[in-house]
Amino acid sequence: MSTPLPISSEGTPAQDLEVETPPRNRFRVFVLALGAVLFIFPFYYMVIGSFQAVADKSLSGILPHPGNMTVTNYQEINDAIDAPRALLNSSIFTIGVLLFTVLFGLLAGYALAVMHFRGRATVLSFVLLVLVIPFQLLQIPLYILIVRSYGLGDTYIGMILPFAINSTAVFIFRQYFLQLPRELFEAARIDGASELTTMLRVAIPLARPAILNAVLLTFIGPWNEFLWPFLVTKQQDMQPFAVALANYMNNVAGRATNPDGANMAGGVLLAIPPVVLFLIFQKHFTSANIGSGVKG
Amino acid sequence: MTLVRGAKSGSTIEGGLDVEKERWLGRQPIGLLFILPYVIFLIGIFVYPLVVQFVISFYDFFFAAPGADVDRPWVGLQNYADVLQDPTFQRSLFNVFVFMIINVPATVFLSLVLAYALNTKIRGLWFFRGAYYAPYVTASVAIVTVWLFMFGVTGIVNTVLGPLAPDPSWLINSYWAMPMIAIFVTWKQLGFFILLYLAALQNVPNEVYEAADVDGAGAVRKFRSVTVPGVRPATTLVIILATITGMNLFTEPYLLTNGGGPNGASVTPVFYMYQKGVEQGQAGYAAAIGMILLAITLLIALVQRRLLERD
Amino acid sequence: MRRGLNFVLAIAAGSLLLVACVSDGGGPPESANTSRGPIEVWLSTNPEEVAWGEQVVASWNSQHPDEQVTAQQIPAGKTSEEVIYSSIVAGNAPCVVLNTAPSAVPQFQQAGGLVALDTFPDGDSYVEARTGKEIADQYRSPDGRFYQIPWKVNPVMIFYNKKLFAEAGLDPENPPLATWDEFLQTSRTLVQKGVAPAAIWPAPSSEFFQSWFDYYPLSAARTQQQLVEDGKATFDSPDGLAVGQFWRTMYAEKLAPQEKYNGDSFKDGAAAMASAGPWAIPVYKDTIDWGVVPIPTEDGKPADQIYTFSDEKSLAIYYACEHRLTAWEFVKSATTEAADGELLELTGQMPMRQNLPEVYASYFATHPDYEQFADQAGRVVEVPNVQNSTEIWQTFRNAWTSAVVFDDEPIDKAFADAAARANELLAEE
Repeated sequence: MSTPLPISSEGTPAQDLEVETPPRNRFRVFVLALGAVLFIFPFYYMVIGSFQAVADKSLSGILPHPGNMTVTNYQEINDAIDAPRALLNSSIFTIGVLLFTVLFGLLAGYALAVMHFRGRATVLSFVLLVLVIPFQLLQIPLYILIVRSYGLGDTYIGMILPFAINSTAVFIFRQYFLQLPRELFEAARIDGASELTTMLRVAIPLARPAILNAVLLTFIGPWNEFLWPFLVTKQQDMQPFAVALANYMNNVAGRATNPDGANMAGGVLLAIPPVVLFLIFQKHFTSANIGSGVKG
Repeated sequence: MTLVRGAKSGSTIEGGLDVEKERWLGRQPIGLLFILPYVIFLIGIFVYPLVVQFVISFYDFFFAAPGADVDRPWVGLQNYADVLQDPTFQRSLFNVFVFMIINVPATVFLSLVLAYALNTKIRGLWFFRGAYYAPYVTASVAIVTVWLFMFGVTGIVNTVLGPLAPDPSWLINSYWAMPMIAIFVTWKQLGFFILLYLAALQNVPNEVYEAADVDGAGAVRKFRSVTVPGVRPATTLVIILATITGMNLFTEPYLLTNGGGPNGASVTPVFYMYQKGVEQGQAGYAAAIGMILLAITLLIALVQRRLLERD
Repeated sequence: MRRGLNFVLAIAAGSLLLVACVSDGGGPPESANTSRGPIEVWLSTNPEEVAWGEQVVASWNSQHPDEQVTAQQIPAGKTSEEVIYSSIVAGNAPCVVLNTAPSAVPQFQQAGGLVALDTFPDGDSYVEARTGKEIADQYRSPDGRFYQIPWKVNPVMIFYNKKLFAEAGLDPENPPLATWDEFLQTSRTLVQKGVAPAAIWPAPSSEFFQSWFDYYPLSAARTQQQLVEDGKATFDSPDGLAVGQFWRTMYAEKLAPQEKYNGDSFKDGAAAMASAGPWAIPVYKDTIDWGVVPIPTEDGKPADQIYTFSDEKSLAIYYACEHRLTAWEFVKSATTEAADGELLELTGQMPMRQNLPEVYASYFATHPDYEQFADQAGRVVEVPNVQNSTEIWQTFRNAWTSAVVFDDEPIDKAFADAAARANELLAEE
């Protein structure tokens, strides 16, 4: 098979590149496992550390000691921040971004891939340019624009706006639509379908893997974002989870019984949702729709 | 049929004038409408602040309260001249280059090798994929805590290394600070690049591997001669993205080394811009830093693209 | 390619138009200075201060139904200045911030974010009466006006862990910490005997404010001078260099670590001493049997002549406030003798009121721990109220970490270069 058509809505299972002879396969697995262990070690250590009553930096501290285990660190966080409210704020923020991204990003990705219109190449260059700009450069003027001129401080919209449409997602959508055979769209047009109908009826149903990938990748940004919501919200009951935790780690954790443990407990809590989400959906990442055949 | 209706969306051709308009706007002008929300977003969120920064970089500027009467004189290119001669800025450029020398090759090599290795059916694949991807989805704020815990003076790494541990310890050592950050960021970002390569690997046709097999090529040879050239476009993307990340580095030095690090050993341009603009309120100067950084990054990206996309 | 360029230029031009059109908003009218109404105030997140603040606010609200005060907490620490500055710029700063750092006042004032106290007829006189003219004058801005109300001070002294000292064979009631030589020798004993990894553990990192807890207290004790006097930096002097050399010895002999401690090193027993103010007493009281001594001086000055860093926090009224008279009245009600007494009792921090030990004699009789701090509160040195103060502190701190902490360059050269840069900054208009 030359270029596999990623039409199925499940991810195409990983191809067997060649018939592996067993020893080579086992070697590969061994190397992978070694790497995975090294990779995941800091996580494991973070989880262990978060349950320690007294910070144990020795070598034996790698293994959980029943005598040194406690949930105090988590309790202290729970006492210090209003977790359900913060999680709600994070969810609204993230879902808002996802909605905007999927809605407008799909439109944009489709247009950039399939449609021909004046200024298409310019917009494309624009998108690439935008990826180069560091957020800190935009921060203050954006803050003035959103909070002062539009008065959107302490609102969800104010939080969402700078992240509303994720350019990487647009990229993913575009790459994906580029790979779909042109004949599909031509056929639809010949049948008299408008572009909108074509997109809705033909392209999007096929795009489920891309949408899933884009959602998973876009999720990470707003969920972990600390600086912008921190600036934009003054009221504590508007702050998302990442901000509440960061505040806790910077200001209150120093007074906890085990500051290191408290910090790591905060880290574990923040990391759980994205990791869990990824594990649930990760098999969909195998299909060939991210950046494949990048043609710029 | 095709000639009469044309490959257009919905509208009918009503005369020569429309055909002219159509050719000017493109075959699917409704595409402009599709793209409009995104473009408005780009202009509002990216272009507008950038233009503001560009304008204020020519003034001795600081942000003030609305309605306040403050004096912000024009200084022309003075900010730019000062920035280019600023030893801290120069050091920050050096630091990100050190970062990229370690990070970019390591990222390309490791992510390709790992993607290649992960591109097979083996038991427990979900665990491996999860392990490599987990650092990427976690907030830096969260994962830095355990990194500091591990690499501190009394941390577990030094305990294991014993007398071999560097003194001063890793993150407070002016030689090791930036490399440590490079290792951290490489580890953290690898998941994303593995994904890119995984996708690209799907596009390497099986026939080429089979042909290589017929020629009696070994695994390493196949990797070098089939895989690497086969994923060339992805490699270009990985290099460019990793470079951009490196030039724009801020969060990790900020968190791992409390800002500038020992003797400025881990100052990055964006951090310096932040320090000047937000902490010290010198917005004009910070804007000049930002503009210069942007120019350098674009230049490097363009050069890389030119060099790497030879076909 | 050219078409693309045109497109880009068109967008840029459109944006410039947008920039020009985006309204500035403008500030509150002149009448705000005499206006009354509901206001918002910000407190720090220090739990004891929050408890005090909520009490004060509740009491005000019960007496002023038409001028309700809403209190909000903002994180203290480096980020609080950024939050306040952003809110100034956005025009949504509160009326009062009960956590304004004096080092940030020049920047806030320059941005037009603060209200001068002489806007109110009794503004200046109130401050001078409460705090005493001499100390209060340290808080005037270069134009001679008050843009902040000196509120509370946490004079920095040396805490020491009595138990660890006893373990090391040192007298826990009268430890030898008065002269520099004694301090060094004591530190050596503590570390050599292994009672703690560090004798003292000030943060060696490069944030601009860390100097306030290592260099500045010792410099204040030695010279009573601010970092900047008469428009010139003072650290590039034999006195400044001597202090630098003292700390270099501490770092060289590993009596103070070069890496930042995550948490409170004194509380965890990782350091036998700490340079801190009375805010730390509630933090340590359950875990450490502590004692306190004044900052060491080279020759061992008598305690009643030793000055130290104030670690002060001010109250300030912000420009965006639309009911400034209410704000001023609230500030006064938060700084009455009774309110200051509450502050003292709940937080242990020293209100900036003249004759502290006499005014609250009964309190200090029952809390002898605090009496030394109250006495010290009359002899404090403040950060200089000058333009570019943050940048000057950062310049100094960079020189400090490079030369004193890490010995990457000689101290005299580092201080000289930093002073030259600081003087340049001071000379700017």
